[in-house]
Amino acid sequence: MSDLLKNFFRFCIVILIQVLILNKITLRWWSQPTGFPVFIPYIYPLFILLLPFETPVWALLLTGFALGLTMDVFMNTAGMHACATVLIAYLRTNVLNALLPKNLSEYPNQSPGVKNIGWMPFLVYSSFLIVLHHAVFFSIELWSFSNFGYLLLKILASSITSLLFVIAYLLLFTRQTALRS
Amino acid sequence: MQVTLFFLYKPFNFSAKPNRKKPLRNFILFVRRFFNLILFLALEIVCFVLIARTNMLQGNDVLSSANAVSGIIYKKREDVVYYFGLKRLNDSLISENIRLRSALAAYGSYDTFRDEVVRRPLEGNDSVKVVQYANYIYRQARVINNSVTSENNYITINRGSDDGIRRKMAVLSGTGVVGEVISVSSHYASILSVLNVKRKLSAKLKDGTMGSVMWEEGRPDVLILEDIPKEIKVFRGDSVFTTSYSFFPANLLIGTVERRRINKKNNIQILYLKSATNFRNLQYVYVVENTMLDERTRLEDSTTKDK
Repeated sequence: MSDLLKNFFRFCIVILIQVLILNKITLRWWSQPTGFPVFIPYIYPLFILLLPFETPVWALLLTGFALGLTMDVFMNTAGMHACATVLIAYLRTNVLNALLPKNLSEYPNQSPGVKNIGWMPFLVYSSFLIVLHHAVFFSIELWSFSNFGYLLLKILASSITSLLFVIAYLLLFTRQTALRS
Repeated sequence: MQVTLFFLYKPFNFSAKPNRKKPLRNFILFVRRFFNLILFLALEIVCFVLIARTNMLQGNDVLSSANAVSGIIYKKREDVVYYFGLKRLNDSLISENIRLRSALAAYGSYDTFRDEVVRRPLEGNDSVKVVQYANYIYRQARVINNSVTSENNYITINRGSDDGIRRKMAVLSGTGVVGEVISVSSHYASILSVLNVKRKLSAKLKDGTMGSVMWEEGRPDVLILEDIPKEIKVFRGDSVFTTSYSFFPANLLIGTVERRRINKKNNIQILYLKSATNFRNLQYVYVVENTMLDERTRLEDSTTKDK
């Protein structure tokens, strides 16, 4: 299966999982009226994280914009998701360059998945970008820093849950090389 | 003039930048070099324009869940999930039926003729007559998408402009208020629910004291009633209703008082309400059209313009 087709399918799957399942899970970790904010885990940034190494930055930006806008249409948040996603799409190359020992052009036909760069680098890479995405998204959504603790709590809890779901997605949907051999 | 300018300009041509004479080419080089950054900034600006436009509540019809594609996907999902809630739905419909029947019985059980003392026949040109100030049409709709987690929550329903739904109509559930229609497509409509930080809702206590209800983000069951003076005694469990000031029909339940807190600074009490509608499992809503509202808003707008 060609790379383009594969990524197109992944785009659809990520959007559908996000819209049909995860948007309906409203997580609230403890007691009723006072206290913890309600939030949704977001896994759709994973699509940007898993695009191949040699994708040019302009293509990353445009797909990020398209992905964010699709989410916006479903969630009635015109522009907020797109803004956060374009930002992480722009920073992706720099983070990867800083994180990996070799130059990016030395990974032909690969994508920065667990299989290619290992668990630990992938977790650092994805958690950094996901926390950034959530920070930008929730700040724009709340649009004030008057309630800073609440914002911080929401960002932190939401990113941790999102990361858990990202790991679950990877375990479910990527082929494990060790199992196949 | 031309010649002198040319001579003034010439010495720079021998410097290290031979391209100074070709601004267009320089510009193209600049764009090619910083293309990614420029594209990034342009996309971000587009995003912020979109955010700003929607926050002004101009009714962004393209980018809302009322549009055709996302509406269809949400409807397919709702068709599947619908059956899981049927039992709960049935219970709520039965309790609503009971409430309506008791309200109806209350109308039939009074007779005012017995107490009438004076009878004076009305003249044909007498000024006494019934005044109608509102005329409501109820339409039922099914909720196909719903959210309670964001700062401004929207609900999508399966009725649109083909069924006579228009913007600014009030939306109710069987137990209380839900929100306001924000944008409409031909088969779907999206509703800004009461759980939003943009709008306030005018409300009154049972003794008639007016206030405004807003939402503190983060908790989908808790609303806040403000602007009630400290002297007014409110107890836990008191009901809060809509007023006839807003576009909602009057005397609908918004919620019941759960907790009161007094702001020491300005002696105003803040009441925390438990909302009458359970926004987590909305399945059916009523869209209410007030056919006389148009005339009223036109009058009110013209008076504010005159000032």
